[in-house]
Amino acid sequence: MVFLSVTGREEQMRKKFLDQSIVSRRDFLKGVTLTGAAALATPVVSARAQQSPTTEHERVVPQPNIGAETQPPPKDPVTQTTSGGDFMAEVLNTLDIDYLAMNCASSFRGLHEAIINHTRNKPEILTCPHEEIAVSMAQGYAKIEGKPIAMICHGVVGLQHATMAIYNSWCDRVPVYIMIGNIVEADKRAPGAEWVHSAIDPAALVRDFVKWDDQPASLQHFAESAVRAYKVAMTPPMAPVLLSLDAELQENPIADRDRLRIPKLTKVVPPVGDSGAIAEAAKMLVAAQNPALICDRMSRTPAGMTRLVELAEALQCAVIDQAGRMNFPSRHPLNQSARRGAVVGQADVILAIEMNDLWGSLNSFSDRIVRSSRPNFKPGTKIITLGSRDLYMKANYQDFGRFNEVDLAIAGDGEASLPALTEQVKRLTDANRKSAFEARGKKLAEAHQATREQAKTDATIGWDASPITTARMCAELYAQIKDEDWSLVGNGIRITWPNRLWNFDKSYRWNGGSGGAGIGYTAPASAGAALANKKRGRISVAIQGDGDLMFVPGTLWTAAHHRIPILYVVHNNRAYHQEYMYLQAMANRHSRGITNAHIGTTLTDPNIDYATVAKGFGVYGEGPITDPKDLGPALKRAVAVVKRGEPALVDVVTDPR
Amino acid sequence: MNKCNRGLVVALGLLMFSAGDAAWSQTAPVGDAANGKRVYLAVGCFTCHGRAGQGGSYNYPAPALAETKLPLEAFKVFLRVGPNDMPAYTESVLSDKEAADIHAFLRSLPGRRPPKDFPLLNQ
Repeated sequence: MVFLSVTGREEQMRKKFLDQSIVSRRDFLKGVTLTGAAALATPVVSARAQQSPTTEHERVVPQPNIGAETQPPPKDPVTQTTSGGDFMAEVLNTLDIDYLAMNCASSFRGLHEAIINHTRNKPEILTCPHEEIAVSMAQGYAKIEGKPIAMICHGVVGLQHATMAIYNSWCDRVPVYIMIGNIVEADKRAPGAEWVHSAIDPAALVRDFVKWDDQPASLQHFAESAVRAYKVAMTPPMAPVLLSLDAELQENPIADRDRLRIPKLTKVVPPVGDSGAIAEAAKMLVAAQNPALICDRMSRTPAGMTRLVELAEALQCAVIDQAGRMNFPSRHPLNQSARRGAVVGQADVILAIEMNDLWGSLNSFSDRIVRSSRPNFKPGTKIITLGSRDLYMKANYQDFGRFNEVDLAIAGDGEASLPALTEQVKRLTDANRKSAFEARGKKLAEAHQATREQAKTDATIGWDASPITTARMCAELYAQIKDEDWSLVGNGIRITWPNRLWNFDKSYRWNGGSGGAGIGYTAPASAGAALANKKRGRISVAIQGDGDLMFVPGTLWTAAHHRIPILYVVHNNRAYHQEYMYLQAMANRHSRGITNAHIGTTLTDPNIDYATVAKGFGVYGEGPITDPKDLGPALKRAVAVVKRGEPALVDVVTDPR
Repeated sequence: MNKCNRGLVVALGLLMFSAGDAAWSQTAPVGDAANGKRVYLAVGCFTCHGRAGQGGSYNYPAPALAETKLPLEAFKVFLRVGPNDMPAYTESVLSDKEAADIHAFLRSLPGRRPPKDFPLLNQ
């Protein structure tokens, strides 16, 4: 891993910084600037505090200001010309952060006010009616844009709302820049809400699924932690980070702005796998008869897909895209995702790149009374892993999946390591191997074409049925967007039909899933992704699960308020359908009949009219569409709305899957 | 799937493969398709296999059953055993008569058609 920094300059800055005393939050009132009559008021810092020079220790570790505590309260000033929040806003503007998603809260009112007035709404505030929406929007945005946006919330109650979305972002290895408000000092809290909204260590709630957190005790501390947080979040494996901001630190005047400095942000070069290990992997792949590449959260940037295509074509080998990111073109002849069982079963060498659950991808698991499993690969198959997940892991939440034995494990960022691997593969490929590769590639291309034809044939079943089949819905939707610069930013029916029927040929055609399978992701994450697509004129589309939308319907208002162009096509099967099926399985185990499985799993009686819900939030809405013949025209009208720069929703009553 | 279960399903698969479509076409539906539709919806077959028998997914892909070529006896074995993670339907939940009715219903459903007749599938 290489950090692009000028170490000499850093050292110089460090010395300069040590020469200055750190401005503690308890010293702020020394610098209060009063105006008008308030200027005549009693100085707000105690005489004792002014007279006592601070020791070196007191400069670094905040000490209780006994003088202030023992003096009678000074006369209140009524205005101030600076605030810690102003400085914090300036710091955020030196980072590469475009937006600040939030649900407003008093514990960060100081920073909020500073952003809207001092830095003139930069980062631009996104108003979200739920903290989960704010985090999920950041998750969706980061995957399209390749960089984080910030969100801020109350440190206690807001963070509790935000937790599910933070967990999704963690599992999805997505950088989200989280800030929370807190009131650290007990004697500064107003009675009532400020007590129940404060905590000694608010980040403890999410520490198992953020990569790093801090609660700065001074503004200089904030500046350094703010830059550190960004760098930590963006270093693979990427993940959310959190800063807890004391309310007084945000609100009080700054003693001496000139003594504060903002460190330079240096971007991190992702870690590349060891060159010897890369060469060994290349040797194994070139020598293999049936090598296969399998990848999940591999593509971090548009270069990822290009690099994977280059490696696959150099080897003429099968690629299985687990769709955690937009890794490989759906219509590339080497894309064998639709026949992964056969590919894994025939492979003699498997290279797994940035896999989330390798064991789950290489084994069959039986969810029966006696749970059992078996490998899908043949004995002797060599398995190589390449990825950054092993570089940072936590213990409690088990998102790392079951341990999988491998033959060669390369710790390094997948996307960054691919060029070196491809180069080695090309170097080792002689004429004989090249000829064998071409023959293999031809067979794979035939198999790929067969799966495409099979998909089309399968899609014809129930073509005119009502409720509408998901295949028909996806075919109708694609007809309306295929000539646009489209981006599928969310999918509540899993990837199946779009991936089988649509041409995913660009890096932004797909934006991955939730990560933690936490419901309430698709609607807001899709809006965040659409916000990133907006500046490039892309048409964003989300196939929106009805159950997911019910968790975060307020997302629609945010999309309308911020003029986010996105088409939500509601896959309205009127159920939490996976749970419905699980309940059926449980009932069948007992031979109790399964006619009661709808209880607690369905969203009927009354049926939900999502088009009317959308209209209530100021979003164009159509539906419920029950006749497949009506679907195409409805989607066409909705796409026209999106092309005007606004959100739209079409509610489609669909078959379960 | 346990070893016994898997072996049974593999055997059924081989039987289907070796007999071919002609053999299955000789098996006339013996059930009541109208009642089969009612039961198919009531006992939840549609949740994985779709109301039109188009297939779907549970923990694994659930195959399309429209216009099934599977003989009734083999169909019943699938129901009673439940391959992969499919819930097993015992006789106390689903009688042989109801299984036959469902089978007849599935046989009556239109199956796959040539995709060339569907412009939307050739984009």
